[in-house]
Parts: sequence; C-alpha cells; structure tokens
Amino acid sequence: MTFSPCSHEKEVAELLARGQWPQACTPELRAHARACRSCGELVTVTLAFQSARAQAASAAKLAAPGALWWRAQLRRRNAAVERVGRPILGAQIFALCVCIFAAAALLVSQARHGLHWLAQLPQPLSLHLDALWPSALSSSGTGLLVLIPVLATLALLGGVVVYLASAKQ
Amino acid sequence: MENDAFAGFYERSARSLWAYLARVSGDPALADDLAQESYLRYLAAARPDEGEVAGRRYLFRIATNLLRDHWRRPRQASIEEIPEALLAAGASSAQADSQAVLGPALAQLRPRDRQLLWLAYAEGYSHREIAEVTGLAAASIRLLLFRARRKIARLLREQNPNGGEL
Repeated sequence: MTFSPCSHEKEVAELLARGQWPQACTPELRAHARACRSCGELVTVTLAFQSARAQAASAAKLAAPGALWWRAQLRRRNAAVERVGRPILGAQIFALCVCIFAAAALLVSQARHGLHWLAQLPQPLSLHLDALWPSALSSSGTGLLVLIPVLATLALLGGVVVYLASAKQ
Repeated sequence: MENDAFAGFYERSARSLWAYLARVSGDPALADDLAQESYLRYLAAARPDEGEVAGRRYLFRIATNLLRDHWRRPRQASIEEIPEALLAAGASSAQADSQAVLGPALAQLRPRDRQLLWLAYAEGYSHREIAEVTGLAAASIRLLLFRARRKIARLLREQNPNGGEL
C-alpha cells in the first residue's frame, strides 16, 4: 500500500469540515474529487462519518448534568477522606503491632524467670494480698494477675497514641 | 469546575462523546455507562482550566482509555474481535441510513482503527490531537489513518457499488 496524499486534499478536507461540500466547491475541485482516489475516499469517508455522528448524537439519552456533578463531588470527598484516613490506619496498625510485640516479650520474659522478682519486692507485713486471692490463683495464676493489668495498660497507651495521631491529622 | 459551568460544558460535549462511544464500541448501553464515568473522572481530576477545547480533548482521552480498559477485561475474549459482533447486532431499525451503511463497514475494522477514523472524520481532530487522545505516537497516526481510511472506503464501496454523489 503506497502512501500518496493528494495536493488538493487539504482544500477538500477544509470544505468538508465546514460542512460546505459540495455547495461551496468549484466544479474543477469536484471533478478532481471524482477522478482522484485519495480525495474521493476522503469525501466518501468524511460524509459517512459526519452523517453517522449526527444521527448517533440525536439518539443519545443523556443523564442530568446536576446529578453527575453531585456524584463527582461525592467521589472527590470520599477520595479525600480515604487519603486522610490512610496515615491514621497506619498509626493504628503500628500501635497494635507494638502492643502485640510488648505482650509477647513480656510473656517470654515471665515464662523464663518464673516471676521470682515478685518475691523480692518489699511487702508491708500487714498487707498480705495473697490472702485475698482465691487459692487456685495464688499458685499457678499469679503470672496472669500481673500480666492482665500490664496488657491493659499497654492497650490503653496504644489507644492514647492512636488518638493523638488522629487528632494531629 | 462549578455546577453551572459544568452543565454548559456537558450540554455542548455529551452528545458527541456518546456518539463516539456508541459507534466505536457498538453498544449503546455501554456508551451510557462509559460516558457517565468519563464525566465523573473528568470532574474528579484536579486539572487547571485550559479552556473548553482542551477540556473536550481530555474528556475524549478519558473515554478512549475507558474503552480500552473495557476491551482488555478478561471476560471479553479479545480486543481485536469483540465489538464486531456487537456492532452488527446493535444496528436497530431506528438507527437510520448512515448506521446501515457505516455500521457493517465499521464492524469489520479493528477497534483502534474505528477510534482513529471517528476522531479524524467525525470529530475533525488533527493528527496531533488524535495522538493526544489515543496515546499513540503522533508520527504513526498519519499512516495508520491512511490505511484505515483506505480500508473503510473499500468496504463502503463494496456495500454500495454505485457510490454516492461526490
């Protein structure tokens, strides 16, 4: 296939674009378009597409522009909220990871040392907390009674960190 | 873009955008969806106001990308073969002569050729504008368009051997 544009093509194209073909063209140009393959194709194709465009455009059933505009505003707002929420989610995940890591480290540490440090704490003679505990907890559940408040404190601190991060955002 | 300004832009551009999507995809229902999505993305994009002509080009670019994404989805068989059947089936009796003439010819072209031909001969875009809309290299548009035009002219001649009055 050879690529051979005609010198009259630009002139023909301009008349077609302005919707002035064939009314405004000279008889010579019209005769040329009949004889020239390139210009003839240009006229045939352009007229077919222009006609198809006009018919398709008249058949269009369009949505209300106001509804589209509001949908777009809603989408923009949601995107903005998502953008802002992304660092907060990161902070929450980070705080949760810190809590889990601290709890795991504490558990391992307590399991290794068997809570011997508790015995070294000075206790007032008059205050015997173990007397208040149920007998089942006083032996094997001692660790749990220490761990639960520690974990609760960590979770509380994590929550505060997240709250401060959110407030900053 | 404010609501009133958008309403004006929409009134001036929506019909031609819908016509582009409907004729290139061959599916009016798909054209409805993609036209709406094009406007939503157009409004959601934070672009400087470069005037209506540039805005319109940008809108057609969004629509072209949406069409391409649609054809590339796995539920469709292939970008090269989908819309042919749709185009042939989509020609209703209400769609008049030009559809009867152009529709079958357009159906035998590749989607990219349909896009190029529509943008050039229905919308009147220059090669540089078509390159901007389609994302193709500006240098290759001329040759691609020349081949596509030659092909559809041959198909139109085959359908209508007597030819139209030039």
